Amino acid sequence: MPAVVSSLVPARFLTITAHLVIVITIFWSRDNNVKAGLPLDFTQEQYDKEDTDLVVGLSVTLGLFAVELAGFFSATAVHASASVALLFFLFEQWDCDIYWWILAICSPGPPLQCIRLLVILCISTVGMLDILGYICHLQVCSPTQPRV
Amino acid sequence: MELPHPVRRRLEDFSRTVFSDPSRTDLTDGDHVKYREHGREVVSSLPLQMSLYFNMWFFPWWWIGEVVMLHLKYSSLPDYYKFILVTVLVVMTVIEAIRLYLGYAGNLQEKVPELAGFWLLSILLQFPLILFQLFNESIIILPLERGVHIVLGLFILTQAVSGFAALREMVRHTESQFHLRQFD
Repeated sequence: MPAVVSSLVPARFLTITAHLVIVITIFWSRDNNVKAGLPLDFTQEQYDKEDTDLVVGLSVTLGLFAVELAGFFSATAVHASASVALLFFLFEQWDCDIYWWILAICSPGPPLQCIRLLVILCISTVGMLDILGYICHLQVCSPTQPRV
Repeated sequence: MELPHPVRRRLEDFSRTVFSDPSRTDLTDGDHVKYREHGREVVSSLPLQMSLYFNMWFFPWWWIGEVVMLHLKYSSLPDYYKFILVTVLVVMTVIEAIRLYLGYAGNLQEKVPELAGFWLLSILLQFPLILFQLFNESIIILPLERGVHIVLGLFILTQAVSGFAALREMVRHTESQFHLRQFD
């Protein structure tokens, strides 16, 4: 078991790094991808708009990478304790209002940023699910007001 | 495998001049009590060790990416850059192997000359070479090359910073041990 666990850490690091390298590669070779989404006769403004959209998407990905790498390098203890909290929530069937509180912490506010990082880390699992979870969270958080 | 003796001595002298604490002159009684515990204190640096460990795992993939990219762009390079890039690849491979070994030995066994050798190799050789690979546009930098060089550059940067802190701690630790030995 310890041998399996100790080979998980470099494996996870290599998958995260591979993902990062591919994102950087796409960033520097985005010309063909932008042209693929445009009609054959495209104007420069259409090209610029598509290009900007792709750059924004890639920048968001890079930002999420910062969050993921911070969680990876700091400690998995944070991850574990937050997972434990969520398991309690699931199995003890806590009030849904508490879950809205957890989501409400996603709204911007400097004193809540560190808690927000914890929440992001605790909702995520390995690799792609991290990013998917964060995007879903953003979808849910932004139009939501916390119910007190 | 040990560093040769004259190299060790040079590196020790270098470490002592650059990293020792000039502000410390007389020791108070509190310091004497603190230093008695020093035999059991661990001065290996965790951030440096983590960085070295992940660097070691990443290096084969950097090498494969670089070789494949060089093979792809070889025919469209001018002759002098062909020679330069092959030389830079060979040099970076050899230096990286030596550097990682010295970093491991120096950090885990708390040996100052090895760690100083690792730090100098990182700052003076690997860092300029990786900057050359990243910012010299006339060697046709391919997107995958940018990706892997950025990751390796970040590794070298973190090792330079944490290596400096680790080396300073280790030099002060060995100095205080020398000071304590005169009271035994």
